[in-house]
Amino acid sequence: MHPQLETLLEIQDLKTQRRELEQAEREVQESVFGLSVDDAITTLDAKIVEMEESLPPQVLNRYRRVGTKHPRVVVPVIRGTCYGCFVQVPTALASDADRNEEIRSCQNCGRFLYLID
Amino acid sequence: MELREFFTEDAIKLDLQGSGKDEILKELIGLLGLDEKSQGILFKMLKRRENLGSTGIGKGIAIPHCRSLVVNRLRVAFGRKTEGVDFKAIDDSPVQYFFLIVAPPLEVSNQYLPVLGKIAGFVKEPDVAGRLAQVQTPKEFLALLEEKAA
Repeated sequence: MHPQLETLLEIQDLKTQRRELEQAEREVQESVFGLSVDDAITTLDAKIVEMEESLPPQVLNRYRRVGTKHPRVVVPVIRGTCYGCFVQVPTALASDADRNEEIRSCQNCGRFLYLID
Repeated sequence: MELREFFTEDAIKLDLQGSGKDEILKELIGLLGLDEKSQGILFKMLKRRENLGSTGIGKGIAIPHCRSLVVNRLRVAFGRKTEGVDFKAIDDSPVQYFFLIVAPPLEVSNQYLPVLGKIAGFVKEPDVAGRLAQVQTPKEFLALLEEKAA
């Protein structure tokens, strides 16, 4: 996998974790796991900034530009469909043998793409 | 919606081999049948969740969990390490029973939190830890889930 794509995936996952902690999961995390949610959010925020700053300028600029339009900047391609805009991606991309060795974007919505089966 | 329907026999391992937290997490992830790179990313996310605070909830039970882009549906796994492993649990006891839960960031059926809650409820029943120690086969584990759902 392209290292920058991996970083983008991790940033997205961390943002998901943060959102879930702040909203849906707060009660479960506090009552079942004894987690200090506010402390956890602070930790995640610092990690997200750190990882964003590790991206090269070209990728970071695109990441921020796409992020102004869409909360989810990286989306999976499942069975040939971009799961950001649900438009079919070109067959050549969807079936590319190199899969995630390059950074690719949806031609329709501009999101970064991650191919999974 | 009952817990039994989410588990498959091949995602149940009654003799985990790992001796540390990281090894156990990797072994549980290995039960999901993901490609190597996805496993690596999932491991990082689970580690990050553990770094926020252990998912060991006491009485020998842990529920490692996270959401990640590298899975496309809710997945669960169960593992047992009879002698226990230091998982920095809330009660500082070794952990013997592990319930792994992972889900994609956007999950159409929205079952992640309900499943998390159901597992938490299941493991808090007084006799469950003892029963988990006695199961001999994945089928018996599944039968226990069914019994407790009744």
